[in-house]
Amino acid sequence: MFLTRSEYDRGVNTFSPEGRLFQVEYAIEAIKLGSTTIGVRTPEGVVLGVEQRVQSPLLEASSIEKIMEIDRHLGCAMSGLTADARTMIDHARVTSQNHAFTYDEKIKVESVTQAVCDLALRFGESVHDEEAMMSRPFGVALLIAGYDELGPQLYHTDPSGTSVRYDAKAIGSGSEAAQSELQDKWHKQMTLQEARTLTLRVLKQVMEEKLDHHNVQLAQVTPANGFEILDEAALKSTIQLM
Amino acid sequence: MSIMEYNGGSVIAMVGKDCVAIASDLRLGNQALGISSNFQKIFPVTDRIYVGLPGLATDVTTLRERFRYRVNMYTIKEEREIEPETFAHLVSSTLYEHRFGPYFIEPVMAGLSKTPSGGLKPFIAATDLIGCLNFAKDFVVAGTASSKLYGVAEGLWEPGLEPEDLFETISQTILNAVDRDAYSGWGCIVHVITKDKVVSRTLKGRMD
Amino acid sequence: MPDMVPMSVAQPQERQFNPYSDNGGTILAVAGANFSVIAGDTRQSEGYSIQTRYAPKVFRLTDKAVLAVNGFAADGNMFVKKVKQRLEWYRHAHSKDMPLRAVARLIQSMLYARRFFPYYVYNILGGIEEDGSGAVYSFDPVGSYEREACRAAGAASSLVQPFLDNQIYFKNQTPAPGTSHPAHLALTDVLALVIDSFTSATERHIEVGDGLEMYVVLAKGSPLQGLELVQGVQEMSTTTDGERVFIVRRNLKRD
Repeated sequence: MFLTRSEYDRGVNTFSPEGRLFQVEYAIEAIKLGSTTIGVRTPEGVVLGVEQRVQSPLLEASSIEKIMEIDRHLGCAMSGLTADARTMIDHARVTSQNHAFTYDEKIKVESVTQAVCDLALRFGESVHDEEAMMSRPFGVALLIAGYDELGPQLYHTDPSGTSVRYDAKAIGSGSEAAQSELQDKWHKQMTLQEARTLTLRVLKQVMEEKLDHHNVQLAQVTPANGFEILDEAALKSTIQLM
Repeated sequence: MSIMEYNGGSVIAMVGKDCVAIASDLRLGNQALGISSNFQKIFPVTDRIYVGLPGLATDVTTLRERFRYRVNMYTIKEEREIEPETFAHLVSSTLYEHRFGPYFIEPVMAGLSKTPSGGLKPFIAATDLIGCLNFAKDFVVAGTASSKLYGVAEGLWEPGLEPEDLFETISQTILNAVDRDAYSGWGCIVHVITKDKVVSRTLKGRMD
Repeated sequence: MPDMVPMSVAQPQERQFNPYSDNGGTILAVAGANFSVIAGDTRQSEGYSIQTRYAPKVFRLTDKAVLAVNGFAADGNMFVKKVKQRLEWYRHAHSKDMPLRAVARLIQSMLYARRFFPYYVYNILGGIEEDGSGAVYSFDPVGSYEREACRAAGAASSLVQPFLDNQIYFKNQTPAPGTSHPAHLALTDVLALVIDSFTSATERHIEVGDGLEMYVVLAKGSPLQGLELVQGVQEMSTTTDGERVFIVRRNLKRD
């Protein structure tokens, strides 16, 4: 086992004889080290929630950015090597703006997701002599939440460039427990308020620290207000409701 | 810069049932700059003939005086009023005299001519700036909005219009044509000539 | 050799290739409440010569979008081809037909991309908006565009446009006291006005004539509104449960 890996786990351009791309698999492993991130879709909109690990009392919690806006109707939460996500989100933002510029309409959630996945697959691309643009797969998974003519949607992307649509999805270190909890508690006619509390409850269960407004962040995408990160007051009141 | 478009302005004449109508805009411009919104370019020749003189404004004045002179001379010598057909040829020959240094005017005429039986027959005609006559049976146009006038008139005009209907038709034609022409507009005037009277109405139009 | 003439001193010579020509013709579109009519004549000319009496200038892009292209025919045909290609790509990328307003914006982007070597064409896009309303978008050759209720373009546009102002927008007409002008005309009235416009243009403009093609786009679920009684109407749509496209052909004078 070790031998086969050591031969085939260096390049991103070579399959192992069993048909695996180890670097991609390792990248997916890297996500499992990341903080827990949750997305919940409801008919009213999509909720995103992340755990922010505040490693030191001197650390400014608000400087940890794990939920970002892509466009007014699109948001994104991440887990894994968050630095990599910046490249991806930047690409998603440019794609979304370009679409609006060229077509005078909002890009579909599926289409931005696909654009991000296209980028994620660009590792291994190098033009004969030129230096490759990317040296390795991205080490981050994204939950892309958004709203378009098909309603509120939630997509999950991973370093292999695969994207799947979910009703509710958890990624990161606590994802296994969180996912089974979501599977138990999610239902079709959930309200946005219920989704927010569900997100927090699930996060609370899998977090080591005690959940408070410093170590979690919530965001939502709704048809009415688009993407918004819940401010401290809204977050506190949701925590109380939990 | 075209001399024909230096001052702007348009004229149209139409035939109706036992009547004719002639209409023009009231603008005088200096290229894009508007100078006057009451510049008359249609003049009575006799009680039953009107002539419209769109083109270079200085030539409007000169030609009007020349036509007045030559019509007066005709009336005195012939001891009768000039007929529209005759006047049309007078206009034509006056312009052709200046074949190689023309007046920059394309006259439009409308009138009622006597028939051998003693009745009156609608008559319209137009010429180019060197006097080539065009006796049309329906309508004639000239001026900076001529292409627009052709389009609207071709769509609105029909044979056998009564005086009031002819007035409405020619009014709608000129108003809508000059609204699409930057060099014409600033109000219009319409004359409807019937056997016993001439009705002249000034139309309010867009002032832009 | 007999008396040698000195070679004339080389003079600077100017040569120019003109990549454009004007192929005449006229196009026109009118938007109704829940339909849109897009029309064009079929004569193609260069100078005083008629190249063909049947060269379509109006094209079905999708079941809800029809594009009329007028000016330099070679550019026009290539432009339509490229728009159709982009619509196909969009269909693959986003798994739906491009909405009309998106087609309009796309055409702007494509025209402006050639700002310094333009497609020498005037475009009029007609069809049905996402809200089911009839729409007309008109463009200049470099992509400036606007949504309107009606527009004429091409050789006889100056003849047709003021007529349309009067008959469609009721310009210079005062409604009788207590009444108002209709915001939209009935389909049969619009078709009659379009035919009148083209017969007038044919009468007075040498570059217009031969044939007339009128495309009618009906909103999803709209009744035929008298279209079933129009002679020679042909359906061009791929489905009958969405927006529907029809074509009506008429002869115009050939002189």
